[in-house]
Amino acid sequence: MFFNSLIFAIFLPIVFLLYWFVFSKTKSTQNAFLVVVSYYFYSCWDWRFLFLLLFSTLLCYYTGIKIEKSIGERERKFWFWLSVVFNLGFLAIFKYYNFFAFSFSEALNNIGIQSSPLLLDVILPVGISFYTFHGLSYVIDIYYKRIQSEKDVIDYALFVSYFPLLVAGPIERATHLLPQVKLKRSFDFEKAKEGVYQIIWGLVKKVVIADTCATYANSIFDNYTSMNSLSLILGAVYFAFQIYGDFSGYSDMALGMSKLFGLDLLRNFNYPYFSRDIAEFWRRWHISLSSWFRDYLYIPLGGSRGSKLKQVRNVFIIFVVSGFWHGANWTFLAWGFINAMYFLPSLLLGTNRNNMETAELHWNFNSIKVFFSILATFSITCLAWIFFRAKSIHTAFDYISTIFTNGNFASQFLQNQRYSYELLWLILAFVLVEWNSRYKIEPISGKFSWLKMALCLLTIIALGTYSDYKEFIYFQF
Amino acid sequence: MTKFIIVIAKILLTILILLVLLDWTYTTVYLHSSNRGKVENVFNSKAENYDVVILGSSRANNHFVPELFEKKGLKTFNYGMSGAHLFEASLLLKLMAERNYKIKTVILEADLGLCNEKESEMIAAKFLPYIHHSEIIKNHFSSQENFNELYYIPFYRYVDFDALIGFREMYNTATSKPTNILDHLGYHPLINKKQGNMKNDIRALKPIRNKYYEEIKQICQQNNYKLITVMTPMCANVKGLDYFEKANQIYPEIHNLENVVQGDQYFSSCGHLNDAGARMFTKIVIEKFF
Repeated sequence: MFFNSLIFAIFLPIVFLLYWFVFSKTKSTQNAFLVVVSYYFYSCWDWRFLFLLLFSTLLCYYTGIKIEKSIGERERKFWFWLSVVFNLGFLAIFKYYNFFAFSFSEALNNIGIQSSPLLLDVILPVGISFYTFHGLSYVIDIYYKRIQSEKDVIDYALFVSYFPLLVAGPIERATHLLPQVKLKRSFDFEKAKEGVYQIIWGLVKKVVIADTCATYANSIFDNYTSMNSLSLILGAVYFAFQIYGDFSGYSDMALGMSKLFGLDLLRNFNYPYFSRDIAEFWRRWHISLSSWFRDYLYIPLGGSRGSKLKQVRNVFIIFVVSGFWHGANWTFLAWGFINAMYFLPSLLLGTNRNNMETAELHWNFNSIKVFFSILATFSITCLAWIFFRAKSIHTAFDYISTIFTNGNFASQFLQNQRYSYELLWLILAFVLVEWNSRYKIEPISGKFSWLKMALCLLTIIALGTYSDYKEFIYFQF
Repeated sequence: MTKFIIVIAKILLTILILLVLLDWTYTTVYLHSSNRGKVENVFNSKAENYDVVILGSSRANNHFVPELFEKKGLKTFNYGMSGAHLFEASLLLKLMAERNYKIKTVILEADLGLCNEKESEMIAAKFLPYIHHSEIIKNHFSSQENFNELYYIPFYRYVDFDALIGFREMYNTATSKPTNILDHLGYHPLINKKQGNMKNDIRALKPIRNKYYEEIKQICQQNNYKLITVMTPMCANVKGLDYFEKANQIYPEIHNLENVVQGDQYFSSCGHLNDAGARMFTKIVIEKFF
């Protein structure tokens, strides 16, 4: 059941009406109802994975209480590591086992020892990376005594499995969501209206921008050997907007629909393509994951303290692990590594916190610098996206080398029966809208909101891509 | 909550108004176009006189050269459409008959298409803009699974087939952007030799007594169109060539011309002749039937 499917368009209003008109008496009835609905939502993908979600929930709930109640440090550590090992163990088995088994076997073959990998015939449970990280952050926070354990199992289950964030985040923190879950929600008209606007803008990003870009990007990446320099550059740009529209569109819809139920989720994107350097980009892209790794990996490793060598090591670890979180493939590792390389100069020069404010453009010399900084950051981001999208590292290098060696910048007719340059107008319009609304969560609210909303609806209906349907990219992670 | 329900009601109303307005706009544009494709060319036409009309799939579109018929003094148009099934060929012929087309001979390519009665979405979609303006189209689609959505929900058909009749196609139609579909009297020559894979496996295909072929025969009979049904050439390396014999057992009147052109140099891909092959094939057809 995808957020942009017809069945979800029926599901959401029913849940909304039941939530506010039948189950709104107490906080407990509200939460219990949302848990049941979330489990139903999750079971629509594959009911068997519901047991995994339940197990992960109960494990973290129980170990959280045990950590808190432990008398000695040894006992605390035991329950803490039990939770970490089980959570990461599931992730390792479902997501990474086959990759490691295959890579290990290949390495043996390369040194002359013939072996065939023992692979598991498993499919990746949707959302496992997200709810595992929810649980882990909760247990880590209790272990470090930042929060107290949650005693109400329903409240905790809602924190982990709340359906808007269950399958693709944002990755919530117990410190942020649990206090909201503990209170009875009352209907807030302004918040709900804001939520609706955010859902509509998320849909624009998904069905108009991401899915349309996908048809072009797929045509170019799947046939990259017959593409010229211009098409390959456009392919990378289209993919950049596809993944942004897809994931930030999903996040907008998740945040928006959560507001309908009176709960605020963490913001996941803050106009990342208007960043002036790569450090700023990472403060604005997939914020909930970046901050998760910052708080639970980078800082415990020492963060920006210690020698420069140690700082560089920490940066590489966080980026490579972040890349690997996305999937078991060398291309994701390479993507993380490249981003670490991008980040390195600003770390060494101490400029990584230079651009903390939102970018501004005026008619002056400094704005030219800002404009070209944004363009340069976007360009190197696109270059890294090639690794993210390519089937293998070899393909990515081949793709990039053709960009620089082909030298042909004529428009090409693609396999999707379109000219490669056609989509640029749509992207330009989208960029202008986003630029003008970069201080807001979505562009609809404010003056002329009805007109803007009608335009968004018109765009969704008339310009959306429906026949060539694309799943949300981040569901596979 | 009441205020919020009003907001939602307004949004739903806006969506409904937009659907109706967009439906009207797109349909109006398609109703005024006749030069971008064969379906709209027929739909937006009046009575025409033809000696020969060719119908079928790409194996008609790429195989019959009207220019050679014209040299014989036969006014001809190739209405074969790449991807079309007999569902669409039948509907196109119904529309021609409704517009009082005077046709002496209909050449129908009916071979691989005989094995199914399904619509071909990429061609069938081209008829959908006119579904509210033609009883024939409405009735033809009425047995389709999603007919109710296509017919009753405004703009649904343009969303469901957005890649074929959506914004881009509507815009190109509105701005009269030319296509080459109607060039060469409807014939689309395949220039390359041996571009595709020169082998094919059609063992899974099973010819059936086809509802739409029966319809075409009936339309021809009612309108005094002489019907010549043919099976067109395939390359030599085909597994399951007995398909053509099986088709002939069901329909003995179909002329099996599958093997009249031989040699891979005449094919662009296993199921499609190149221009040289098409010219050779057309000459054989003309000699045999005219």
